Amino acid sequence: MTYAYLFKYIIIGDTGVGKSCLLLQFTDKRFQPVHDLTIGVEFGARMVNIDGKQIKLQIWDTAGQESFRSITRSYYRGAAGALLVYDITRRETFNHLTSWLEDARQHSSSNMVIMLIGNKSDLESRRDVKREEGEAFAREHGLIFMETSAKTACNVEEAFINTAKEIYRKIQQGLFDVHNEANGIKIGPQQCISSSVGPSTSQRNSGDVESNSGCC
Amino acid sequence: MNFLRGVMGGQSAGPQHTEAETIQKLCDRVASSTLLDDRRNAVRALKSLSKKYRLEVGIQAMEHLIHVLQTDRSDSEIIGYALDTLYNIISNDEEEEVDDVEEENSTRQSEDLGSQFTEIFIKQQENVTLLLSLLEEFDFHVRWPGVKLLTSLLKQLGPQVQQIILVSPMGVSRLMDLLADSREVIRNDGVLLLQALTRSNGAIQKIVAFENAFERLLDIITEEGNSDGGIVVEDCLILLQNLLKNNNSNQNFFKEGSYIQRMKPWFEVGDENSGWSAQKVTNLHLMLQLVRVLVSPTNPPGATSSCQKAMFQCGLLQQLCTILMATGVPADILTETINTVSEVIRGCQVNQDYFASVNAPSNPPRPAIVVLLMSMVNERQPFVLRCAVLYCFQCFLYKNQKGQGEIVSTLLPSTIDATGSSVSAGQLLCGGLFSTDSLSNWCAAVALAHALQENATQKEQLLRVQLATSIGNPPVSLLQQCTNILSQGDKIDRRGSKIQTRIGLLMLLCTWLSNCPIAVTHFLHNSANVPFLTGQIAENLGEEEQLVQGLCALLLGISIYFNDNSLENYMKEKLKQLIEKRIGKENFVEKLGFISKHELYSRASQKPQPNFPSPEYMIFDHEFTKLVKELEGVITKAIYKSSEEDKKEEEVKKTLEQHDSIVTHYKNVIREQDLQLDDLKQQISTLKCQNEQLQTAVTQQASQIQQHKDQYNLLKVQLGKDNQHQGSYSDGAQMNGIQPEEIGRLREEIEELKSNRELLQSQLAEKDFLIENLKSSQTSPGTNEATASARDSEQIAELKQEMATLKSQLISQSVEITKLQTEKQELLQKTEAFAKSVPVPGESETAKTTDVEGRLAALLQETIELKNEIKALSEERTAIKEQLDSSNSTIATLQNERNKLEGDITDSKKEQDDLLVLLADQDQKMLSLKNKLKELGHPVEEEDELESGDQDDEDDEDEDDGKDQDHI
Repeated sequence: MTYAYLFKYIIIGDTGVGKSCLLLQFTDKRFQPVHDLTIGVEFGARMVNIDGKQIKLQIWDTAGQESFRSITRSYYRGAAGALLVYDITRRETFNHLTSWLEDARQHSSSNMVIMLIGNKSDLESRRDVKREEGEAFAREHGLIFMETSAKTACNVEEAFINTAKEIYRKIQQGLFDVHNEANGIKIGPQQCISSSVGPSTSQRNSGDVESNSGCC
Repeated sequence: MNFLRGVMGGQSAGPQHTEAETIQKLCDRVASSTLLDDRRNAVRALKSLSKKYRLEVGIQAMEHLIHVLQTDRSDSEIIGYALDTLYNIISNDEEEEVDDVEEENSTRQSEDLGSQFTEIFIKQQENVTLLLSLLEEFDFHVRWPGVKLLTSLLKQLGPQVQQIILVSPMGVSRLMDLLADSREVIRNDGVLLLQALTRSNGAIQKIVAFENAFERLLDIITEEGNSDGGIVVEDCLILLQNLLKNNNSNQNFFKEGSYIQRMKPWFEVGDENSGWSAQKVTNLHLMLQLVRVLVSPTNPPGATSSCQKAMFQCGLLQQLCTILMATGVPADILTETINTVSEVIRGCQVNQDYFASVNAPSNPPRPAIVVLLMSMVNERQPFVLRCAVLYCFQCFLYKNQKGQGEIVSTLLPSTIDATGSSVSAGQLLCGGLFSTDSLSNWCAAVALAHALQENATQKEQLLRVQLATSIGNPPVSLLQQCTNILSQGDKIDRRGSKIQTRIGLLMLLCTWLSNCPIAVTHFLHNSANVPFLTGQIAENLGEEEQLVQGLCALLLGISIYFNDNSLENYMKEKLKQLIEKRIGKENFVEKLGFISKHELYSRASQKPQPNFPSPEYMIFDHEFTKLVKELEGVITKAIYKSSEEDKKEEEVKKTLEQHDSIVTHYKNVIREQDLQLDDLKQQISTLKCQNEQLQTAVTQQASQIQQHKDQYNLLKVQLGKDNQHQGSYSDGAQMNGIQPEEIGRLREEIEELKSNRELLQSQLAEKDFLIENLKSSQTSPGTNEATASARDSEQIAELKQEMATLKSQLISQSVEITKLQTEKQELLQKTEAFAKSVPVPGESETAKTTDVEGRLAALLQETIELKNEIKALSEERTAIKEQLDSSNSTIATLQNERNKLEGDITDSKKEQDDLLVLLADQDQKMLSLKNKLKELGHPVEEEDELESGDQDDEDDEDEDDGKDQDHI
């Protein structure tokens, strides 16, 4: 299938927060309740539609365990978007966000779009991190924020798509060099850059990004 | 280090002594000289010595060279020399070229040397990190030797160096940048570096793929002219293979990145035939292998099938089929293309269908399958090509019932092309089966077996095939012909190993007969078959015949296991008795076990591809090994069962069947009842539904009634108010009703006035009378009278006056009376008017009330009706409940019955178990008795002893043979 753009994503965060489950829910629309430890990095892909444009998302789901940190660091540089995930029922995963963010900022390109995700929103009864805290952290560090549930699929689609929208917006603003593949963005085959840039669409698009559907 | 000293000690005895001193001096200069030029010259000198005196330079200078790398980074020249020197010390490549005359021993030593020096170098992890950072230097003199050095480090101690690079930040990513270097030498050596870096390290493979390696490498391959490109293309292809082989994540990424589509142009070699250089052959080989990596049968099934689909959709499969049918393609490329096509179509219906439709560009066009099969049964074709065709045919039939049917149908009488103008696949297979070339026999037998694999219909269809062997003789069935050849195998002169023919035929027969009682019956119907098999198994033959014996045992076992007892002479029981009498159970099972213990068996069971180093190894087929695995155990079990057990089992089976039938009967009953129950439940639910609806209607209506009532009440209240209004009217009347009192008063007044008037009139009448009296007295007395009359006239005047006032009083009073009377009249009229007006509103009120009351009555009527309906529904419901209860109770009784039956079954199982124990005991006893007999010196005949001599050299079977060997 042809696509207008290809974006590379990485998913990072502590072990057991549901990174692989988010990916599986997004690519296969299913949920696997058994925790199967990711070894190194796993790959998944899906096509999404933004502003009438087909965008291919290539997603690398990284291992959360500390022992794989050095391997997963290699993936920051070439990614256009990152989903930084914590578990709303385990505060320590929220507390580690700073270290993850430092790592990401240090190794990635400065324009990488980071989406903060509080996962497992279906476990409201066991909630340990308030939604407001996540929002505050995101505001403080300039991230987009969402609470999701890989189990119920709530907001999962939105998390990946909103990240793509933000990247797309940055492209339209000229913040990304789309010809440098090291940024994690590639123009699709038979696509011409001049045809895809239009100031009118960028205006319209910027509004969409901020709108979070709040089903969680 | 001890080792190194030892090596050095051995070598340094000669003239190198002075060189060692020179090297020492040079090292000192590198270490101590303050002038860069001096140091640079010293390093350059070391470099020139490093090839010849590798060991000495390595031992003495490495430390200093590393120091140079750390401190003299500003001078690219000295860094370049240092890197070159280190490369010379560590790499084994140059050594081999220079000293190719040297003995093998010294080459091995130099290899050891390289790895030893590598170990020393990487002991300090920073050295590798330092080298990585030097690679960022753009200067050619630094980057190129850096790349070469790191490559040889990786070649020497791959895993360790990989680990260090993996944990150094951005290590792998930096090396990926080499592919973007504009200088071809560095780019090409970068490819080699990445080859060494990615060798069997999944994590690095993934990072390299993430860094767009696929894109870059495919670009390089395209730039270099695909298969026409040079060795760079080859290197890129090897790197791609490293990245993809056994790496599911990368394969998925490759597929998702639409890179499969980019492989298609690689195979556009067509008929142009610009010559087939060795490099082109190598490149194409690697390209084909890369395709196979993506669709390997060992990949996860989902991954393989999605790649297969993509390859069809982008036309890659079609392109490969073009090569398949093209002329002038070198044999090994053709072979690999056939293997590749095989795996691209294996188990994928769409691709298999496409493949079936491919025609060779001959006149008339023939199906590709037929053309390929012609090669398979052609003994002049290369062995690997024939194997490839067999594989292709197997893959075409794998999980392809349609294809299997098509192949078998070409053999059936109804569909055979009578004109014989074109050869069919079936004819080719039969030709192969009965040719004098044993390889063709084997391939055709296996190919035919694949047409029957897991397909009961085709197994039965194939029984219909008749062959015309020679003119004048009646036609023979295919099955018959197979067994004929099997039994006369030794008499026909064949090319190649005789064993192959028989093994091939036996495998075909085993596949054919398994899971197909009709085929078993057909087979047993030929009375020569069983004696032949038992004869083969019972004979004491050489090692190479053991396999045939094993397969014969398997075939006999299949004829027992899948026997439906339709032939009286060859019932299960009789065949077993035959085995016991003629072969012996132990012996039979042992022979059966030969198959799976064979060395080639385990080899064939690993991969579906028939891949044999040479024709002698062509013994087992992959699918057949699966069949053996499945049947060996069950046949052994079936053979060991005694006749009584068998009978018992039969009985048990029968009773079980009976029970089963009873159970199924009850199951059916239960099912029916279940259905009824469901029906009833549905009815109940609908009724409930209706009930609810009605109840809601009732409540609605009740609420309506309530509303009406409320309205009514409201109206009542209004009415009350109206009445009050009326009351206020009448109040008004009453207020005006003060007037009646007034009237009364006025009447009283009138009465009073009347009595007053009467009083006055009576007074007036008295006075008139008095006056009359006086008049009469006046006239009579005269004079006196005058005075008296004067006085009298005065009195009269007075009286007259009085009378006049009275009269005026009277008049005014009577006026007053009339006024009062009119007033009274008016009031009376008024009251009358009121009395008239009041009844009018009263009348309308009553009309309304009656209306409401009517409606109310109607509603009440409706309510009563609804209540009646509800009552009827609840009655129905209770009736249904009763029905439900009754069916529940029948179910319970049925379950009880079933439980009882199950109890019976377990009882009979227990009995059976007891019998088994008893039997085992008896066996034990028999054995001990035999042993006793033996001890007593009584000869005991045991057939097992006959073979035990042959088995000494069978390594695998030591354990099993131990028992037998004890007897000797």
